Amino acid sequence: MTEPRDEIVADEHGAGVAPTDEAARMTPFRLLASNPLTVVSALVLAVVVLLAIAAPWVAPYGINAVDVANALQPPSASHWFGTDDLGRDVFSRVIVAARVSLQVAVVSVTFALLVGVLIGVVSGYVGGLLDVVLMRVVDVMFAFPVLLLALAIVAILQPGMATTMLAIGIVYTPIFARVARASTLSVRHEPYVQVSRTMGTPTTTILRTHVLPNISGPLIVQTSLSLAFAILSEAALSFLGLGIQPPAPSWGGMLFSAQGFLGQAWWMSVFPGVAIFVTVLAFNLLGDGLRDVLDPKQRTLIESRSRR
Amino acid sequence: MKRRTFVSGVLLMATGAVAAGCSTGEGVDLDGESTSGGTDGATTGAVLRVAIGGEPDQLDPNKTSAYFSFQVLENVFDTLVAPDEKLEMQPALAETWETSEDQLTWTFHLREGVTWHDGSALTSADVVYTYNRIIDEELSNAWKFGSVTGIEAPDELTVVITVGAPTPSLLSSLGGFKGLAIVQEANVTSGEIGTKPIGTGPYSVTEYASGDQITLAANPDYWGGAPALGGIEYRFISEPSTALAALRSGEIDWTDVVPPQQVAELQDDDSLVVGITPSSDYWYLALNQKREAWSDVRVRQAIAYAIDRDAIVQAVSYGTAAANQLAIPQDSFWYTEYSRYSTDLTTAQELLDEAGFTGGTLDMLATSDYPETVTAAQIIASNLEPLGITVEIRQPDFSTWLDEQNSGNFDMLMMGWLGNIDPDDFYYAQHHSAGGSNAQGYANAEVDELLDAARTELDKDARKELYASAATTIADECSYIYLYNPSVIQTWSPDLEGYEARADRAIRFATATLAG
Amino acid sequence: MRVAPRQLVVFLGRRLLYSAVVLLGVLVLVFALVQVVPGDPIRLALGTRYTEEAYQALLAASGLDRPLVEQFFSYLGHALTGDLGVSFRSGEPVTALLLQRLPATLSLAVVGLVIALVISIPAGIWSALHEGRLSDAIIRVTSQFGVSVPDFWMGMLLILLFSTTWVLLPSSGYVALSDDGAQWARRVLLPGLTVGLVAGAIMTRYIRSAVLEVASMSYVRTARSKGLSSGIVVRRHILRNALVPVLTIAGIQFATILGGVIVVEVVFAWPGLGRLVYESVAARDYSMIQGSVLLIAAMFLLVNLIVDVLYAVVDPRIRLS
Repeated sequence: MTEPRDEIVADEHGAGVAPTDEAARMTPFRLLASNPLTVVSALVLAVVVLLAIAAPWVAPYGINAVDVANALQPPSASHWFGTDDLGRDVFSRVIVAARVSLQVAVVSVTFALLVGVLIGVVSGYVGGLLDVVLMRVVDVMFAFPVLLLALAIVAILQPGMATTMLAIGIVYTPIFARVARASTLSVRHEPYVQVSRTMGTPTTTILRTHVLPNISGPLIVQTSLSLAFAILSEAALSFLGLGIQPPAPSWGGMLFSAQGFLGQAWWMSVFPGVAIFVTVLAFNLLGDGLRDVLDPKQRTLIESRSRR
Repeated sequence: MKRRTFVSGVLLMATGAVAAGCSTGEGVDLDGESTSGGTDGATTGAVLRVAIGGEPDQLDPNKTSAYFSFQVLENVFDTLVAPDEKLEMQPALAETWETSEDQLTWTFHLREGVTWHDGSALTSADVVYTYNRIIDEELSNAWKFGSVTGIEAPDELTVVITVGAPTPSLLSSLGGFKGLAIVQEANVTSGEIGTKPIGTGPYSVTEYASGDQITLAANPDYWGGAPALGGIEYRFISEPSTALAALRSGEIDWTDVVPPQQVAELQDDDSLVVGITPSSDYWYLALNQKREAWSDVRVRQAIAYAIDRDAIVQAVSYGTAAANQLAIPQDSFWYTEYSRYSTDLTTAQELLDEAGFTGGTLDMLATSDYPETVTAAQIIASNLEPLGITVEIRQPDFSTWLDEQNSGNFDMLMMGWLGNIDPDDFYYAQHHSAGGSNAQGYANAEVDELLDAARTELDKDARKELYASAATTIADECSYIYLYNPSVIQTWSPDLEGYEARADRAIRFATATLAG
Repeated sequence: MRVAPRQLVVFLGRRLLYSAVVLLGVLVLVFALVQVVPGDPIRLALGTRYTEEAYQALLAASGLDRPLVEQFFSYLGHALTGDLGVSFRSGEPVTALLLQRLPATLSLAVVGLVIALVISIPAGIWSALHEGRLSDAIIRVTSQFGVSVPDFWMGMLLILLFSTTWVLLPSSGYVALSDDGAQWARRVLLPGLTVGLVAGAIMTRYIRSAVLEVASMSYVRTARSKGLSSGIVVRRHILRNALVPVLTIAGIQFATILGGVIVVEVVFAWPGLGRLVYESVAARDYSMIQGSVLLIAAMFLLVNLIVDVLYAVVDPRIRLS
């Protein structure tokens, strides 16, 4: 199946059923480790995360250490990534912005994961009218391009970090709902689940012991890919001045101010852009690697809706 | 009390400036620079393509307060009198005028044969209609008629304005900028003035496509002589790099979307002309005195001592602006020397301690439409950090900004005023306790008295003294914390001749020509 | 393979009904937007132009003073007849303003799609037919690059390269195709390239898997086992059958581009719908936000509907599912 139609893909083969080919015979971890791209991506991400966590201690300069006399200095030994229009150290700002970006991405994707899985599992397990209604709601949300929906949410609330997290979280909730529902549907009809049900096992127990463990593969993949797109969305919102507000550094915000200095200070636009690109690429490649191992059948669900 | 917002030319866009004005276009041909003109066939001339930083909100000169609108309307409308390059008032629609002995009656004689773009004749009734409209509808410039008690039209070409007290600033109030432009009643009542305005100026509006461009065509019947250009195309480009690239590739001929950091580089570029002229605009900070924390003058002074004015000037203007602790620039007759504040954290901390201020957050209202406010806000955030003040910056669009200001929803804001000519423009509305633009809530009876007295003082030197003493108190008490006077920076192709950047940011293309 | 028309009609009916339900949901959500704004949207929109008369006029024009249910049905009725109210900011009809912006966005989306197709069809097919080889790996990783790059950053880099450094192409401004074709082309190239490169990367990945899918079908394996030369198998069976999914992908991408050009339009000062959305959000012009969000979502649904219907007409299996 190749149609990128979300509905079709999700309904027909969203399930993360255990692979029956050779993948089943190797442990997932060894499989992952056998793909050099996945390993490199994981390492890159580890470095990004460590830098983000350690940013306040690692950053050689304060993020708001304005030094106008040293504005627009090209990269040098004292300023690895040069300085911006206010003389602030671009390297320090890039790594502190990593912290902000990852924080927004993790919080918003966690929100999307929790809410989406709840909706999806309930919808798939209970079925019937509730399923129909919930899925139509999800369809409606899918009719809005990602950034458009996020912008509409920002229009209602004040721009800022919390709004950015909420907006991105809401935007990526439907995709988790779909993945979780599709996986739940397929698990629900498995004989062992049917048996459990007839034996009168409480629904919550069935969900916890049978359904959730079996849908975790696709969800892990989805999480990795969603983190990538959440970072892109945050960068786009901040670039438009509607995400993270200055003086807090953000990659998108840094790129916005770099626009006025394109020809004069390439380092202002190149380094934050590379930071976004590398982080997003690592999440995407990791997601690809995870999918090959954990969820070989599901291909294109997220991609059809990923961008923007 | 009805609150008026921005007064004279209101706010500017990023940058801009003038370089030694010459061509003033409007009939008063001061320098013989008008290369051609006067004849028909002008309408077949070249079309000038200019890029401005944003889209006008509307094209009704009496109602808009956006500089983007005036960049267009400057060439479409006329005022009774208009400033020359030295900002002295010269004849425009009024050819001559005289005042009575007691200075309470002003008689203006209109130019003969002036027609609207639709062909009908301009009469004194149009002038009376316009001024009454501004006053009766309480439009944002109504305050300029504060002393006016009567406007009459004894005949088709005469307008008599009576004032309650001598008003030395009347001419600059009536002609300082196109917000006081004479409009046509039919055009207003049809509701078309916002998008299809009819003026008397050198160009008429032919097309206005929202989000895209505005096209003007030369007015062959212009009273100052038909323009040599065939027309003007305004495009809206907010990105400086984009605007400059467009200029370099010859897609546009003129722009004022010039980041100051690129001035040095542009001046080295032989394929461009850069116009830099010191302006009478000024930028300031204002603390909301209606809020408890900032009502203590010592806290405000502490902030004035904490900010690094030189760093702000450097970062926003790259040396093109002049730091100033009062509003009126150095080359003006009305300039007053004042240098109380210097960056001094010790003094700042002492003042805060005296006031018992222990720190907290400060909601700083900047706007994305004026990037210098966002830049400066970030410097200020870093300046105030050592005092235990956390600056939270908001950067809404400008109309939201205005709304927030008027609702008093801010701790501190940064903004600029432009197009000021008379000293009254600089101080009255902003700092008089009954002033229309006193959003910060400053009230000092002594200052009120000084400003009131200065309004009617006919002796120029005595008047200057009054303003100097008012301004000094205003700065001492930090009603505004003045920052700097920017320059007008514009750049254009060498093919464009007969144009100069003006100190009041009026963009006049009436006598411009385009080679090639 | 032909299926009875009756089945097709049933499918079309169901699909239309489904789209109508979703559209209704979109309308509800868009309608709700103004209701959940904290504060008074009209007061906010008027800003400094606030006067009691202007407020009352806009309140009456917007209908926000009427009961909620009445408001909704009125909004619904007007929206279905193409009347989206007036902009809170400018007072102009929303529909007219949207239509003014539509050609610029369509130009950009079409050019972007063409560029994306030119890149992705050869790259995707080549990659699939050389599965597992070095060239496949290179194409896969490169396309992943394209998926991961922020489009506005790519736009900035293109401006830096082609407008600032080499001064070859204009970095902004839109000229209508009907006004001046050559100028239109020059101006649409950079933003079109930005959109096209990103979309091309995404499509390359789809097309690769579409071709792989077809190649694994039993009839292809049969054809191969019959000893048909691989060139013939590729041309006659694989490519022909992959055409349908490729067209589908193109349709979906077109819809995605239409809704996704906001940031690119801002970077290139492109007077399209995306920038209108951005400007409206910045100016809190809620009726304008409603209108543009609704239009984009509706176009998104419409393209999806067309794609699904075409798909069903071409490939009857879909209808049975």
